[in-house]
Amino acid sequence: MADKSHSTAAAPPHEFQRSLRSRLLEDYGILLVVVAMGAVLAVMQPEYFLSAQNLTNIVRQVGMNALLALGLYIVIVTAGIDLSVGSVMALSIMLLALSDKAGAPWPLVLLIGPAVGTFIGIINGLGLTLLKLPHPFIMTLGTLNAVRGICNLVTDGRPVSGISAEVRYLGIGDIPLPFGGEFAVIPVSAILLLVCYGGVAWFMKKVALGRHIFAVGGNPQAARVSGINVNGVLVFVYAASGFFAGLAALLMAGRTGSGYPNLGIGAELDAIAAVIIGGASFFGGRGTVLGVFAGVLVMGLLRNGLNLMNISAFWQQTLIGIIIIFAVWIDVLRRSSGVRT
Amino acid sequence: MQASAGSGNEALLLEARGITKYFGAVTALEGVDLKLSQGEVLGVVGDNGAGKSTLMKVLSGLFRPSEGEILIQGRPVHFHSPRDSHQAGIEMVYQDLALAGNMPIFENIYLGREPGRKVGGLTIVDHAQSRKLAAEHLNRLQIHVKSVDQNVEDLSGGQRQAVAIARATAFDAKVVIMDEPTAALAIKEVGKVLDLIKRLKDHGVGVILISHRMDDVFYVCDRVMAIFHGRNFAEAPLASTNRNEVIGWIMGTKGHASGLAHDKVH
Amino acid sequence: MKLKQLLLAACVVFISSGGAFSADKFAVIMGNNPSANQFWAKVEQGALEKGKELGIEVTALGSPGGEGDVAGQIALVEDQLTKGITGLAIAPADPAALVPTIEKALKQGVKVVYIDRPGELGGITYVGTDNEPAAALGGKYICDHVEKGSEVAILQGILAIVNGRARAKGSHDALAACGMNIVAEQTAEWDNAKGQAVTENILTAHPNLKALFASNDNMGMGAIEALKGAKMLDKVIVVGFDGNPEAAESILKGEMAISIAQRPFNMGAIGVESLAKLIKGETLPPVVDTGAEVVDKSNAEKYK
Repeated sequence: MADKSHSTAAAPPHEFQRSLRSRLLEDYGILLVVVAMGAVLAVMQPEYFLSAQNLTNIVRQVGMNALLALGLYIVIVTAGIDLSVGSVMALSIMLLALSDKAGAPWPLVLLIGPAVGTFIGIINGLGLTLLKLPHPFIMTLGTLNAVRGICNLVTDGRPVSGISAEVRYLGIGDIPLPFGGEFAVIPVSAILLLVCYGGVAWFMKKVALGRHIFAVGGNPQAARVSGINVNGVLVFVYAASGFFAGLAALLMAGRTGSGYPNLGIGAELDAIAAVIIGGASFFGGRGTVLGVFAGVLVMGLLRNGLNLMNISAFWQQTLIGIIIIFAVWIDVLRRSSGVRT
Repeated sequence: MQASAGSGNEALLLEARGITKYFGAVTALEGVDLKLSQGEVLGVVGDNGAGKSTLMKVLSGLFRPSEGEILIQGRPVHFHSPRDSHQAGIEMVYQDLALAGNMPIFENIYLGREPGRKVGGLTIVDHAQSRKLAAEHLNRLQIHVKSVDQNVEDLSGGQRQAVAIARATAFDAKVVIMDEPTAALAIKEVGKVLDLIKRLKDHGVGVILISHRMDDVFYVCDRVMAIFHGRNFAEAPLASTNRNEVIGWIMGTKGHASGLAHDKVH
Repeated sequence: MKLKQLLLAACVVFISSGGAFSADKFAVIMGNNPSANQFWAKVEQGALEKGKELGIEVTALGSPGGEGDVAGQIALVEDQLTKGITGLAIAPADPAALVPTIEKALKQGVKVVYIDRPGELGGITYVGTDNEPAAALGGKYICDHVEKGSEVAILQGILAIVNGRARAKGSHDALAACGMNIVAEQTAEWDNAKGQAVTENILTAHPNLKALFASNDNMGMGAIEALKGAKMLDKVIVVGFDGNPEAAESILKGEMAISIAQRPFNMGAIGVESLAKLIKGETLPPVVDTGAEVVDKSNAEKYK
């Protein structure tokens, strides 16, 4: 017996390292796809694709989906889903636009989007945990409709324009670079994305609550008997998803200079697609922030590339659909081969 | 109360008195007593539905008893959640293991109790420290894994059981309750887990082992008690009973099996 | 992610912006995809034919998310600006939300006109139907064909869009002026299926309905399906708006009474022509009306 256990202890170390390497590939393989897409577009659209104007455009264009996907990622790690983010974004943008119009000081207006989002997120979380609805799909499908309805009731379906410059800075501001001409700028929204993605990556890796989110996704029963407040964790993740939807609304308020009640119709599906393309598991417990960002870029590059080539919007939908299926299928293959070795 | 604790010949680690548990109109437990000393392995046997698991869930704070009291080293305690029982030094290894397969061994061991520093209500986890502590702890229990970074889902059943036991004992547990720890294991792994239980006993931990397997009970236990229809049915030191008698207890027959043994006399 | 940012930054550093082009390039950014809606197919056709005639490269595109996809439309315009367009004819998905993007185009020296619907940014010519009087034509037809005081209903479009409001108002005012009893005014969001559902509900509540004004043909076709289902098509007059080919077929079959035809082909063609004029330095009036026409059995054939 002792001999046996020693032999396991002395098992070849490279075996584990290989699984580490395959795990790296699993987590970051999608980045290769992004680089490959970039290369193809650079070859097909040499005049435009790598221009400073286009690159900054891409960063600006992916901003909304990037923030929504980041929030959904946190939810999906718990094996949950948040369908309400598009509607939450619409209500957030309308309330912040209306309060800006009403003369509220801009620092307060900046807080309104994330605050509204967090509030609805908490309602989602409480609905799920207190009402014990069978699946977050139900609760957030409810808020998807209810919040959109409230948004239209509040605004009578009309847009509000003329948002003040300070409020718009996050969405439209640029920090000029000292070289490279008129379009060589770093969009402020890019910095916001960097901070949010870096912050969430750190939080999910280093903070106990972040680890508990993974534990709840891996095995809620294990989390519960480990003394983790599972309901508390769930309320937190939906609040976080709402928060990022509110932040996305702030970004769009800047980009459009207005609040419009049709914002974000169907946006939840794009965000879910980005998270899944990025390699997060729908069954929870798996996925990286970097993967999500790569998923967002895959969708953004595809859209940008097809726009540049003047290809019909229907191709974008078709291709994104195929990519979702393909990305998950590759993932299934990788996992089953991982089990075999 | 102090008198009763003092009057025991040895310090009782854990004592449950008259535990009764109702679920609506159903009585799951009725006046069950249980005693456990330091370094003792108590086998708890009973048929499916006899109330073993309910009793264990009461002891680990998952259920609150309808009546009765729990004492730890003579002092009464009240558990409102598993966290309370953890703090009192009672740990449970669940039959379904309760590990997060998507997370590495070291994180599972410290799940919910991560080492690190507190910043404004959040704990910044010190993963390096957690890894080091986990490796040391596994070493102490002579549990061998390739790396504490391995995900639990990549381990064998026996290794998972070992991790679950390591998790239960990571914080100086006084009492470890195990619910059928060998039920799902390959035969060659059973011995390792039972040896691990003996090691816990050597460290002075009191162990309650729920098992259907007489081989396990008779290999590691010091004492065995049987529960039948939610009540104490019989109890004896291992040395003064035998497999047939214990099997008889499980089926609710006292003296029947020993009666068989005495057939020759009649 | 750091790597990606570095990569982006590196690209920003090393590659200068896409250059300008000598020949004119126009982009026609539509409210929906031409293959989703025959109206936009006509706009595209008009724009492309006029472009060929004038020797100008014209690209016509709709947002990936269809009607109301603001973020998608903004991205479309941005990507076309990257390609160095000199003229932009746009049907804003939202009148207010596209303002900064249109300002960006103007700042780059791109000439801009609105087609189909005006946006909020002033100083830009609107090439399209003057919707309020056009909708009033439909109201007037109902006034002439049913008794005063009859129950009538209006299917509205999306009210966030200026045209939705203009048609709702134009039809309402005309019907109210001749003493009709307007029992329902509900939005079906330009959508065929929603038009059917809303009409079904209206018929349940108001079985004596005599006429229905639909703010576009899609909703009108939905309403006709609802009336067929309720076996009331012979009792209720349906007026559509747009003069789509399927509406024309329906008129010839005697189902839809009339439709108010816009001239989507004109919007595309005149939109491109107007951009060319602006580039030549000519000035345009604030509104270029592309006209409206009542489509009935006498002229429906040419709208098929």
